Amino acid sequence: MASIRLENICKHYGDVVALDDVSIEVEDNAFFCLFGPPLSGKSTILKIILGLETPDSGSVFIDDRPMNGVSPAQRNVAMVFQNLALFPHMTALQNVRFPLVERKIAEDVIAARVDEVTKKLHMQHILHKPPSQLSGGERQRVAIARALVRDPVAYLMDDPISALDARLREETRVELRRIQREMNQTVIYVTHDQEEAMSVSDQMAIFEHGRVRQVGAPHDLYDAPASTYVAEMLGAPAINLMAAGGTALNAGRPVPQQAVQLGVRPEHLRVLKDGGNTQVSAIEPMGATTILTLKAGAETMKAALHGQPEFQVGESVSLSVDPAQIHFFDKNGDTLVAV
Amino acid sequence: MTQIALSNLGKKFGSFTALAQMNLTIGDGEFVALLGPSGCGKSTTMNMIAGMVDPTEGDIRFDDRSILDVPMSRRGVGFVFQNYAIFTHMSVRENLAYGLRAQGVSASERNRRVNAMADLLQLTPMLDRRAAGLSVNILQRLAIGRSAVVEPAIFLLDEPLSNVDAAFRSVMRSELKALQRQFSQTLVYVTHDQLEAMTMADRIAVMDHGKLLQVGTPLEIYNNPQDVFVARFIGSPGMNILEGTIASSDEGKLVDLASAGRSAPLALSDRAASQGLPEKVLFGFRPEQVNPDPNGTMALPVNFVERIGARTILHLGGDGLEAKAVLDNQIAMPSIGDVLRFSIDPKMVRLFDPVSGIAIGGDI
Repeated sequence: MASIRLENICKHYGDVVALDDVSIEVEDNAFFCLFGPPLSGKSTILKIILGLETPDSGSVFIDDRPMNGVSPAQRNVAMVFQNLALFPHMTALQNVRFPLVERKIAEDVIAARVDEVTKKLHMQHILHKPPSQLSGGERQRVAIARALVRDPVAYLMDDPISALDARLREETRVELRRIQREMNQTVIYVTHDQEEAMSVSDQMAIFEHGRVRQVGAPHDLYDAPASTYVAEMLGAPAINLMAAGGTALNAGRPVPQQAVQLGVRPEHLRVLKDGGNTQVSAIEPMGATTILTLKAGAETMKAALHGQPEFQVGESVSLSVDPAQIHFFDKNGDTLVAV
Repeated sequence: MTQIALSNLGKKFGSFTALAQMNLTIGDGEFVALLGPSGCGKSTTMNMIAGMVDPTEGDIRFDDRSILDVPMSRRGVGFVFQNYAIFTHMSVRENLAYGLRAQGVSASERNRRVNAMADLLQLTPMLDRRAAGLSVNILQRLAIGRSAVVEPAIFLLDEPLSNVDAAFRSVMRSELKALQRQFSQTLVYVTHDQLEAMTMADRIAVMDHGKLLQVGTPLEIYNNPQDVFVARFIGSPGMNILEGTIASSDEGKLVDLASAGRSAPLALSDRAASQGLPEKVLFGFRPEQVNPDPNGTMALPVNFVERIGARTILHLGGDGLEAKAVLDNQIAMPSIGDVLRFSIDPKMVRLFDPVSGIAIGGDI
């Protein structure tokens, strides 16, 4: 497998800036996630790595080799699309074999390679079926196997599991991660689902309007976001952002002078049933957790509590928080380093 | 604002039974989710309520009046599909006004209602744009608005959020709920996503293979699943189910879980005790009830660790004895290869019959 490096990539489509000075380093055998809202530049990056698009400026390196002028075929990067693009008239086996047959590789080599990959993906029992007789998850596996047999230097995946049922998505993302680890693959993965991004990646880059806002391990980004933008992109329900002056929440520690906003994640709010100045305005019991919407004057916050605690709509409560769990942001929305 | 009663409703396509013996009453103004995997019969049920498919058995009544002979156009039902079916050559405003125009609503009233709906769904800024160029998110919002604006007595939604992105889905969940409260329509919502059902519905009807398995409030279904399928389907991740054998100890009956250890003595309800226990049971517990405990009587190896924001999902076991644990990130997290020793509060254990899959003794 290979490392992939992007240096100062810019790309415009007419007046629209698709990518603005993007630099990313994906280590060999890493699962690297590109995460951001629709049209923030994630898919354009994949096309540039594949060689389907040429950047206006900047370079792509695969294993430190510059890719300028190298054709998509010579780059040997595999792509798994969201809509899988399986051939409906072929069986699963024929679909998996296709990239090798097309390259006119010797039959015994094809058979050995296909056998190895399909065994690893536990899909030998479905190989005789056409795609129309396979479940969504099985079709996904065929598409991944077809990419794996080629033995490319890296895999690019564009939102590959978003079309599956919710339950199947939860299982498939873990499966993908296991396959990547077992087979030592470099994967660059695009998704707009924050839970999926945090689940699968070693490292992730968070995008906004064609720029990278922060790169890091998912739990570092979650625990130490560099901006309100990143803080709000990760976590459901989203982090509570409050005006630094005039919030009902007692920070319990000195608020830095430049702080304009405070951020507290819903799971870090403690709700005390003591008739305080905050009202419960909505209760969403979800079984494992209960989400409370809380109002104090014009301020609205959400708290995520364990289990199924008893609260009434309209009940008066007060809020507290471990001072270490408060994030401070300046007027630009950038994180202030703790004082 | 209509009550819907389904009685012994069934649908066969040739020899294939899409739905059998469906009995469900949806109250006036109630939000009911039909929840299940693809092929469970939920969309067939909805299509029969709408009048697009005729049942082969049973009856559908709106406010005690059978509507089987009433054509679709006269049932007073609003319908939103997964693939929104918006008129792309029309503007957002024309799309919203379409149903009102068809009903012959006056121009001033039409304008008032279109503007109010646009406001509610945050479509006002794009009212005069053509639908063709709009994003998937906006199109789905528009599809909901176009059906809601005619204020149908019954609103049917078939997986309306499955094409939109994850962040937008959570916004739309609270908007849909607010919309339904405001108009107090009877709303039937088809989904395969338990989170949508849990967060929006007054009651959930869980279905599988053309059968209605359980109806109840989200917490009733979460806390006391009556069937092992329901137990696994509800929750994220779903309930853990391990095969076990009933054994006796000085403190009472417990469940032997082979290489995973033994449960604590069971807290059996009177009903379960009097009903008696089969020798083999399915031992159910929720992932968030796994309590790491050095003195715990159960243990499984950790084979995968998935940290997602505030919580971590541990994937435990292997070879048919698999379970998941959801832990808070505040505690020290085991690594892959470690053995997690844990306990489960006996009150949180649910037992199921391994043959029928039905809960033993109701809530124990």
